[in-house]
Amino acid sequence: MSPLSGRLELNRRAALKGLAAAMAASMARCSQPTEEIIPYVNMPEGMVAGEPMRFATTLSLAGYGRGFLGISVDGRPIKMEGNPGHPFSLGATDIFAESEVLTLYDPDRSSVIRRKGAIATWDDFAAEWNRVAQTNDGRGLALVTGRTTSPTTLARIDALRTRFPALRWYRYEPVNDDASRAGGRIVFGRVVTALPRWSDADVVLVLDGDPLGHGPDELRIARGYSSRRNGKNRRQRIHVAEPVWTLTGATADFRIALKPGHVREVARLIANGLGAQLGEPRLPDYAHAFAQRVSQELQSAKRRALVLTGEGQPAEMHALCHWINSQLAAPVDYFPPQDPFENDHAYELKSLADDLHARRIKALIVVDSNPVYDAPDMLRIADGIADVPFSAHIGLYRDETAGCCKWTLPLSHALETWGDARALDGTASIVQPLIQRLYPTRTRDEYLAELANEPVTDAYDLTRNSWRKGAPAGGDFEKQWRAALHDGVIAKTAAQPTTASSSRIATLPYAAPQHELVLQLSPDTSVWDGRFANNAWLQECAKPFTRQVWGNAIQIAPADAAKLGIADEETVDVTVGGETVSAPAVIMPGQADGVVAAGWGQGRLSAGRIGTGVGARTCGLGTHPFARSLAGAVVRKSARNVPFRSLQAHTRLNGRTEDLFQIATAGELAPRHGKAAPPPNMLGIPNRGEYAWAMVVDTDACIGCNACVVACQAENNVPVVGPEEVTQGRDMHWLRVDSYARPHGYSLRRGFEPVPCMHCELAPCEPVCPVEASVHDHEGLNVQVYNRCIGTRFCEANCPYKVRRFNWFDYSGAQAYANEGPSLKAQHNPDVSARGRGVMEKCNYCLQRISRARKTAEKQEREIAEGEIVTACQAACPTRAIHFGDLNRANSDVSQLRATPQHYVLLADLNTRPRTTYLKRVYNSDETA
Amino acid sequence: MAQLFRPGANSIAVIIIVAIFVLPTGAVAVSYFLWKSPYATSQYLTLAQPVPFSHEHHVGALGIDCRMCHTGVEKAAFAGLPPTHTCMTCHSQIWTNAQMLAPVRQSLASGTPLHWQRVNRVPDYVFFDHSIHVAKGIGCSVCHGPVQKMALMRQQKPLTMGWCLSCHRHPERYIRPRDQVFNMFWSMPPDQIAQGRKLIAKYLIHTAHMTDCSTCHR
Repeated sequence: MSPLSGRLELNRRAALKGLAAAMAASMARCSQPTEEIIPYVNMPEGMVAGEPMRFATTLSLAGYGRGFLGISVDGRPIKMEGNPGHPFSLGATDIFAESEVLTLYDPDRSSVIRRKGAIATWDDFAAEWNRVAQTNDGRGLALVTGRTTSPTTLARIDALRTRFPALRWYRYEPVNDDASRAGGRIVFGRVVTALPRWSDADVVLVLDGDPLGHGPDELRIARGYSSRRNGKNRRQRIHVAEPVWTLTGATADFRIALKPGHVREVARLIANGLGAQLGEPRLPDYAHAFAQRVSQELQSAKRRALVLTGEGQPAEMHALCHWINSQLAAPVDYFPPQDPFENDHAYELKSLADDLHARRIKALIVVDSNPVYDAPDMLRIADGIADVPFSAHIGLYRDETAGCCKWTLPLSHALETWGDARALDGTASIVQPLIQRLYPTRTRDEYLAELANEPVTDAYDLTRNSWRKGAPAGGDFEKQWRAALHDGVIAKTAAQPTTASSSRIATLPYAAPQHELVLQLSPDTSVWDGRFANNAWLQECAKPFTRQVWGNAIQIAPADAAKLGIADEETVDVTVGGETVSAPAVIMPGQADGVVAAGWGQGRLSAGRIGTGVGARTCGLGTHPFARSLAGAVVRKSARNVPFRSLQAHTRLNGRTEDLFQIATAGELAPRHGKAAPPPNMLGIPNRGEYAWAMVVDTDACIGCNACVVACQAENNVPVVGPEEVTQGRDMHWLRVDSYARPHGYSLRRGFEPVPCMHCELAPCEPVCPVEASVHDHEGLNVQVYNRCIGTRFCEANCPYKVRRFNWFDYSGAQAYANEGPSLKAQHNPDVSARGRGVMEKCNYCLQRISRARKTAEKQEREIAEGEIVTACQAACPTRAIHFGDLNRANSDVSQLRATPQHYVLLADLNTRPRTTYLKRVYNSDETA
Repeated sequence: MAQLFRPGANSIAVIIIVAIFVLPTGAVAVSYFLWKSPYATSQYLTLAQPVPFSHEHHVGALGIDCRMCHTGVEKAAFAGLPPTHTCMTCHSQIWTNAQMLAPVRQSLASGTPLHWQRVNRVPDYVFFDHSIHVAKGIGCSVCHGPVQKMALMRQQKPLTMGWCLSCHRHPERYIRPRDQVFNMFWSMPPDQIAQGRKLIAKYLIHTAHMTDCSTCHR
């Protein structure tokens, strides 16, 4: 170093010294890195280091609680599983519940209090809030929340209203039940929550609704659906009339595509058949035949017939379906609404906009809502908020609304806090934390208690207090509390179903004939209303029908596409009322002509590093908030180029659909006699060890919800690759859900097929591996030894099922999207290796779970029991479509399923003898609708 | 014409020809043995620990059972290191002022855990499980050596895959009755192989699966 300048001067001599030092250092032993063991100072009771523990907790979707079990290892929640004791989980999960562990560790979470973007303290906020609070009795004070069913939160809002009597509380949920609420008011004079008992119905007609699609009731309905598919009960007939493909539509025996206006004519025809005088149904001929036929089926199945509709239909349609159901004595339970709020959601958001623009709001507190994103641009919510003198946003992320508010207050994640929630039927459950708060955050209840100046402001005490109050006198509260925490439900909190029948018929107005295109909107199948947009697992979770990832698309019927000259995957502009969004077009056979469809929830402007700028924001279109149907849409080719990113295109196997996705008719499924001899081969059949693991996937039960895909990702440390890599044809999912369409009459039959590794007994991947990294074990698993793998990718090329995934980059270590921050590493399952760059990987039947079960059984000197091993995908599945077990047992689930006539093998002619096999999709008859 | 090569050139040529064969072979052989040698495997290496804990004293002299401190060994993959509280159950009564134990007292007072250096380490891609080995009659001393004689803990075995496989291929050579697993003074009977085979049958050990890659790697 030069003594005068202090500058580092590297002369020849110093460079040589450095070179010598580096050489000497490199000659030192290539030592193993040292590792520390850091035990507890005081170990928690009952804790065993490294062993997973399960805690019952509650996650909310659209304000309704669903009970799950969180798996925690050494104090880190790593996976969510279903809680069999909770009536709205029934042991299953969905993509949103599975992905919550990733959201918890999301480095983009709001982690500190900010004032106009600059870091501030709670005291700063409290000082300003006290000034605001002292000046008035709540006039001009506005509170915005989503749907709230939590008794503790409702008590906090009551306390806030006690302090500020003139407080105006706005409640809205983007994916809401406004039409259904209005329908209830027409028929019953009050709002009801109608919960169909799906398994009790022999005939189901769904008119433009998606009960099997994502939502707070999905898991319960899906279980009801699958209970009528397993052969013990008589099979159910499902008929669907809808404009756009839904998961429910894909399960239908008969499905016809109708414009929303025509769908209600089907209901009119059915109502007339039941004695209503609603005028002549105006239906096209083919739809008339369908409606006639369904009408007869429904009438002949009284007490066991069910008619459902969805939010895309008007209130009168909901009213009419209520009436039809009461005429049919349909298996529907009516519950009082758990959401105590009187007004409808869209009305509330509009009032908020009006009050903002009329400057009636002087202080605004937004709790876990994002009106700036959710509301149509016409409402100009952002401008309104900017004019409010005091505004605070309480949320998990610094989202669009947070960007407009003066204060941003970080919210705790559901897995770090105490709280409670009610399910659709009123079942209450406790939100139990699995980890200390990662950042200095507060819960919704804690913030509200602070704002209301309540004496108790700790979430644990607040939650306990609200249940202590309601506890029966003389009961042992501590015992009940522990039981509630253990079971994940609070006993006897479900409401009693009320009888709701009415002879009142609503008049059903005829829809005005639509000559222009109608834009149908629905919640995105991956990111819901946009709140999950920053979750990389969900962004890379393929949409069921289009298999699109990282974005949304404009779905368009083939006839309309031909008329407009639009090609598949071409970018189009959709203009409604002067506002335009651009997205790639997807031509969807089986979609009603005259209808274009898109999802909400994408095109976030401020979601975080993952979700910002992905896809097109469709919720800004139109004038009415949350409108599902926008008339007068104009679609034309775009000057922009938005890439269409999809996963299935990577492995398209043209011309083999009938072979790969097999269907059968219930009548032709004659029981098989004897066992077919396996085709001969020259390699010899490997010996079976003590166990022979196998999986049977029931494509008849699969509804394509993707829960298994995200569950696999969480369990097996499967990284995301990001949109750029997907465009290159790469992805890492060990389990994919393929989407198939088979022409049937003038319609299509669609279905889903989850494809994990086949674990072929004669695996084509094994002989081509030069280093024996792909080998068989004695229990029939085709295992991949990551340490041996040198990345030749011969195995991937030789795999006929295309289930092998290659780490082109260090996806699990340093690649963007998967590794936006160190906190994400905490989610990793310590029982599974993180794979490095240049290594092949694939499904291993959750080897870590097999290994754990084997060790438990061996320690107890017994065999692994049937059903003791549950793979992650199997555990997640709401329809129990995935079966796993031991082929060596003749009476195991998989052995028995393999003997059914429904059973088939993918690409059986290759004689790979896969251990993963399938059950055919079964239809009641081969007739066309 | 003068000779091109001096007489010594013959010897040089022979040396070069031999070296062409010997040097690469030798280099491979040296690196092969070096790679498996204690130099590379850290075998017999004693690491500096925050507290010079002596197994010789606690196990050998006092006869404290392994499970007193390594509580996870029968239940979990990780045998576990004792929380500071476990140390202090005794050391709040005896040697309460020993200079050697100052870090332990400090840990308890400040709530900061002790940072021990890991001695027996297998790579991250090896999913070793203590509980199953203990349950199937593999004694602590098989892998950890005569711990009761170690004043400071050291790695007694190479912990290479070949070493693991020597037992996974022939468990009868190492297995002992289950009640002797924690006995540090147990010695093999003269008919170990015959006794071992009997124990393998008795403990229902499935030897075929023990050499599957999936047993330890996943």
